[in-house]
Amino acid sequence: MLALLVFLPILAVLAILLGAPARLTAVSASVANLALGLFAAFSWKCSCWSLSLPVLEKPALHLAFGFPDGMSVIMVLLTVIVTLAAVLSGKAPEGREKLYFGSSLLISGGALGAFAATDLFFFYAFHELALIPTFLMIGMLGRGDRKEAAWKITIYLGLGSIILLAGLVWLANLTGTYDIAGMIAAKGSVDPAAQKSIAALLLVGFGTLVSLFPFHSWAAPAYASAPAPVAMLHAGVLKKFGLYGLLRIAIPLVPEGLNAWIIPLLVLLLGNILWVGYVTISQKRLDTMLGNSSVMHMGYIFLAIAALIAFPENPLARPAAVLLMFAHGVSIALLFGLADRIERTTGSLDLSDLGGLAKSAPKLAFVFGIAAMASIGLPGLANFSGEVLVFLAAFKSYDATAGLGPVQIACILSIWGVVISAVYMLRAYRKIFQGPSVKSTEFAADLTLADRIPAVLLVLALFAVGLYPNLLLNLLK
Amino acid sequence: MNLPWILLFLPLVVAAVCQLVLRKSAIVPLVATASAVATLVISFLLLGKTGTSAFDWATIGEFHLRIGIQLDRLSTGMMIVVTGVGALVHIFSLAYMKDDEGKARYFTGLAFFMFSMTGIVLADNFIMTFIFWELVGFSSYLLIGHWYQKESAADAAKKAFLCNRVGDFGFMIGILMLWGITGTLTFGDMQIPAAVSTATLSAAVLCIFCGAVGKSAQLPLHVWLPDAMEGPTPVSALIHAATMVAAGVYMLFRVQTSLGFEVFEELQASTVIAWTGGITSLLAALMATQQDDIKRVLAYSTLSQLGYMVMAVGFVHGEAGMFHLFTHAWFKALLFLGSGAVIYACHHEQDIWKMGGLRKKMPITTIAFGAGCLALIAVPGTSGFFSKELILDAAHEAGSPLFWIAAFVAVLTPFYMTRLFVVAFLGKPRSENAGHAHEVGPLMWVPLALLAVLAIFSGYSFINPLSPALPHHAGEFHLNLVAIVSLAALVIGVGTGWILYAGKDKDPVTIPLFRNRFYIDGIYDNFIVRYFQDALVAIVHFFDELVINGLMVGGLSRGAASFGNLFRKVQSGELQGYAFACGLGAILVIYFMVFL
Amino acid sequence: MASLNDYLLVSGLLFASGLFGVVLRRNIIIVFMCLELMLSAANLSLVAFSRFNTVNGLPDYNGQMLVFFVITVAAAEVAVGLAIIVALYRARQTIHTDELTSLKG
Repeated sequence: MLALLVFLPILAVLAILLGAPARLTAVSASVANLALGLFAAFSWKCSCWSLSLPVLEKPALHLAFGFPDGMSVIMVLLTVIVTLAAVLSGKAPEGREKLYFGSSLLISGGALGAFAATDLFFFYAFHELALIPTFLMIGMLGRGDRKEAAWKITIYLGLGSIILLAGLVWLANLTGTYDIAGMIAAKGSVDPAAQKSIAALLLVGFGTLVSLFPFHSWAAPAYASAPAPVAMLHAGVLKKFGLYGLLRIAIPLVPEGLNAWIIPLLVLLLGNILWVGYVTISQKRLDTMLGNSSVMHMGYIFLAIAALIAFPENPLARPAAVLLMFAHGVSIALLFGLADRIERTTGSLDLSDLGGLAKSAPKLAFVFGIAAMASIGLPGLANFSGEVLVFLAAFKSYDATAGLGPVQIACILSIWGVVISAVYMLRAYRKIFQGPSVKSTEFAADLTLADRIPAVLLVLALFAVGLYPNLLLNLLK
Repeated sequence: MNLPWILLFLPLVVAAVCQLVLRKSAIVPLVATASAVATLVISFLLLGKTGTSAFDWATIGEFHLRIGIQLDRLSTGMMIVVTGVGALVHIFSLAYMKDDEGKARYFTGLAFFMFSMTGIVLADNFIMTFIFWELVGFSSYLLIGHWYQKESAADAAKKAFLCNRVGDFGFMIGILMLWGITGTLTFGDMQIPAAVSTATLSAAVLCIFCGAVGKSAQLPLHVWLPDAMEGPTPVSALIHAATMVAAGVYMLFRVQTSLGFEVFEELQASTVIAWTGGITSLLAALMATQQDDIKRVLAYSTLSQLGYMVMAVGFVHGEAGMFHLFTHAWFKALLFLGSGAVIYACHHEQDIWKMGGLRKKMPITTIAFGAGCLALIAVPGTSGFFSKELILDAAHEAGSPLFWIAAFVAVLTPFYMTRLFVVAFLGKPRSENAGHAHEVGPLMWVPLALLAVLAIFSGYSFINPLSPALPHHAGEFHLNLVAIVSLAALVIGVGTGWILYAGKDKDPVTIPLFRNRFYIDGIYDNFIVRYFQDALVAIVHFFDELVINGLMVGGLSRGAASFGNLFRKVQSGELQGYAFACGLGAILVIYFMVFL
Repeated sequence: MASLNDYLLVSGLLFASGLFGVVLRRNIIIVFMCLELMLSAANLSLVAFSRFNTVNGLPDYNGQMLVFFVITVAAAEVAVGLAIIVALYRARQTIHTDELTSLKG
């Protein structure tokens, strides 16, 4: 069943290449996948979802999918939701529909494969598969400095992947298997000296993929020039692969090794939140601002991971990280989708060219307001429940008689990021939607019914998790 | 226990229905008003009930975050204030906003605010308080920015949200620390372990206090409240005078009762709280004496009175602060709604020097407004007198120099209110708009009249069951030093005000320092925002470009390029060069093979 | 009678002058001729070694066999090489190596 979920988008890509109508195929495959994903969320404990096909005898490789725990289910759910929204809200340039929708589906299929794979080789390979269409789409259909952005993301992510590959291969050699569950069972064979080096490789490798400071400078230009579905899918879904990998592979296998790097990790995540936060404030365009903000918010998920590393029995950290990954994925996808919509109707994303859009496009203003407030962390929307759990997780190990530990100090500093994100989001909202109308916004078109469907889908996800986080937390039990 | 849940969620349901189903329909204002009145009725039914009820909002193993309701004297009494002022403001708004094209949006926002405020009052734990704390901030953002096309309104909304966020930064840290100290987030279960040092506890309490500083607009985060007057006047009455800004005081008192008063008596933090409140009340009163905008005078007066309440909390006499909160809510809502009626009648003229002579044209409003003034300046017998007396008592009892500061504020309050009343209502009309003013309709004056009654009588003991917290000796009067000082202050204040302003057509006194609000806004805009934040942003951005993009990324790519260039040189394209290299290579090979 | 060393000395001189010609001259025809010179030098040393390495009183003819092969291959090489030079001249109107640098990176 899970194989069907993963290969449906890839089959749809083949169908599109063979001449099926691009948009229709993409949308129907995504709808079917959303249905499958929701079904999976209800029945993931059933063994019928797992699959294992031997591919190679030596080394033993299996094309294996399964749900080892609720985390995979939530990531799959995130992927199918964002995919449908992405293919619905994107508008392909004339004559490039095949490339446009095919690539979007391929990214989705790769992400699904990576999140569902239980074999290390396919875990890595599916992610790489998803990166190729990302590079292509940015390079061929992007805006602005698309060539440079495409090169930058290719080199960065390529390098990150190679470093990651080194760590993963090392691990596989030490444990003698490619099956992730088997590796975790054999984690005793990873000696402490190797742990430290492997942990560094994994942190840098996965970290580059998640735009951990200072390996972040690919993200903003890439998202700014990427076509909307790519920005939505990469920022919303694919980027979470690195965090997922840290939680799925690095923390179970090399906990002590990671613990040795805890202080550098805390410093770097503060770099994400505070440094990149201030960089975000300085942005003058909505798209680069959103790109930087997505880099910044990764810091909070790293904070949850750091809390888990520093205090392995921490019950709150893993659910907090997963919840925030889901929330951030949905909210940033919504923001990128709406930003694209604003550009299509006003012709600009430069904040100084815009103003008073709420007058001519009240529905757009309303939905964008929800997305912006979600990103700021307003209660009732998903990001808040994630963030507050992250903070609580960081303070779970706080001992009032002994004083603040490094994780708590990092947490206190990172709460300042909540103010920073309010500054840039409200500034952008103020510039774009409020104030008197200007020429470009005076007759701007509001959201049509077709525009509203993907937006409503994402907004519903934000509200569902925000109003009642147990919906997702119950999956993690 | 269904009733409290209905009380909490009814306004949310109404707001959602208005936003999603009714949209711009003309019945939105009526639906919202009906819901506000219904919540008032429910609040009356709940009076005197106690109990708790909760459901799990987020569960991780043994850890629960709950949405819970705590009913006790404090919360049910506070609900009367919230829903009482809320219902009257809704009714007043029906008339005040009837020609506004965004009135559906306005009433939806009001309903959403009622939901959020109810949540703060009923919350039984810190996380729930924080959730609704943020939501009231958000609804205040929506309502201040109601006229979003106006630059100043949009800026004021943004400023209010950001100032609150800065406060919430501290609040969140405080919640986390207190959670670490007590091991629980529920107010009812909090116990301070003996091993915790008072310094740690003080730090935690001060962080919590930061939240109150933001929400109750204490120094140094007070700047948003006067700007918030850009919102419609009924909103100022409800949110920025009676309820939301008082939430800080409410929350502090809630923390005090759950941790125990004796804990607070030993904390350094209490002194800091008292001084913050005292200085805020003094500076705000000084600023109020020189404002010309009727709403701004009232806004600074609100700041000053909130400072009183915070000071009382700092003296660990929170019940006096809560009592003042209760009486202040009625008379300040009255003053704001009264000013709203005046502004409405004068065609949105807000400058008091362009009013005058309203006494004859708007008699009901004038009487009601006058009643509010009497309560605010603490004329003996009015509600404000009793509550302010308790706060002065507390200050005197503590033997702190703050008593004399508070007494000086008690001189300033009658002074600026006399100025306001004399200039706006007495004398002759000073502009065409004021000349054409006439009495407002019953939808507006009935709420005013009701509030006027409450402004005068809400201090007496028969109203006890309604008040959220009442010290045992409230509503009594003893002639002692405190009483003499406050009476003298009243006489001096009113007397100076009358002498200076009676019959004047323009302000005889100009003190730029007060008029310009001690230049604090200017310092923030020019120094903190422009030089500090923007400069920091610019520097970080510069280094991001230079170090990350320039040195690290650029260095890497330049390194690769120059390495490539090195090899490019070798490939000269010259045949003989190649031949030479080839020969040289052959010789080297022979050399190594044969001779080594 | 001349010793082996004398032959090898002449052969070395021939080879060196051929190599210098290849490296220094700019005209491809000359370069080509110098290449031939280097082949002749090799041939000379082969013949000399053959003459001085006697097996059962007779010179070792294997070396002289090789020389015939070299001469044959060199003849073929000249044919092909000159043809290439002619084609090159037609395409570029020059046979100076200074001007034939399109392989420069």
